[in-house]
Amino acid sequence: MNSVGEACNDLKKEYDACFNSWFSEHFLKGNTNDSMCAPLFKVYQQCVKKAMKDQNIDIQEVKKDILGTDNEKKIP
Amino acid sequence: MKIWTSEHTFNHPWETVATAAWRKYPNPHNTAVIGTDVVERKVVDGVLHTHRLVSSTWYFPRWAQALIGSANVCYASEQSEVNPISRYMILKTINLSFCRHIAVDETLSYLPHPSDPSKTLLKQEAVVTVKGVPLTNYMEDLLTNKISTNASKGRQAMEYVINKIDAEVKDLTRSTDEIINHTKKSLDGIANSAKKSMADISEKAKKSLDDMHKLGLS
Repeated sequence: MNSVGEACNDLKKEYDACFNSWFSEHFLKGNTNDSMCAPLFKVYQQCVKKAMKDQNIDIQEVKKDILGTDNEKKIP
Repeated sequence: MKIWTSEHTFNHPWETVATAAWRKYPNPHNTAVIGTDVVERKVVDGVLHTHRLVSSTWYFPRWAQALIGSANVCYASEQSEVNPISRYMILKTINLSFCRHIAVDETLSYLPHPSDPSKTLLKQEAVVTVKGVPLTNYMEDLLTNKISTNASKGRQAMEYVINKIDAEVKDLTRSTDEIINHTKKSLDGIANSAKKSMADISEKAKKSLDDMHKLGLS
């Protein structure tokens, strides 16, 4: 899957691969320490934030809160 | 406003489905989704919170584009929570900028099936609201139908991804066996270190693939 910024695709793929393995091998097994992919996440984030800015994708709108507000739907 | 709901049971444990959900795209069933980006992600009190930007292309008839704008790429905000202890995964998606007239709010929840915890129940709800354009009701029906079609594609997509992950694990086991055999022939030192990491992989593969034993591959 691609990133919104073409320049971020490789960084995203590396991060996603790390995350997928962390998620199934660590997180689902009860290890919630997420430092494993933190360095990859950081560089990927820098790239993606810049790409969103360049494309005028409103980060504030994206970050509009749902969880913890009245908009949140309750767990069934 | 139109509300659309649906339920679907996956014959896979919750952990498998949750893992596949992160890898849902790309798949041949939902080609409209062209990108996903994590904007924020953190673990709070053992719960994984993720905020993603989902980019997709929407194709509307030309006359509809005249009403709602011709934005080909639409962005959506997806916020999710995964709790591995309570075993739930909930994703809420809201269209951004999808043309200011249309709001599509979608919620997907993956939970262990109440009557069979080895299966996973997907509950899906979408609320479609169209404002400020003529034929509002018609537009809402159009979108609701689209969501309904996309939902069944989404379920096929999940099965596709689950199969793909299963196949990857099988491949991993196969190549692992080759390496282990090869290693045995070489120096003990190398064999020991290789076995250590391979044993790890084999163990994981065994867990997810009971039938490996029957096939005599592991």
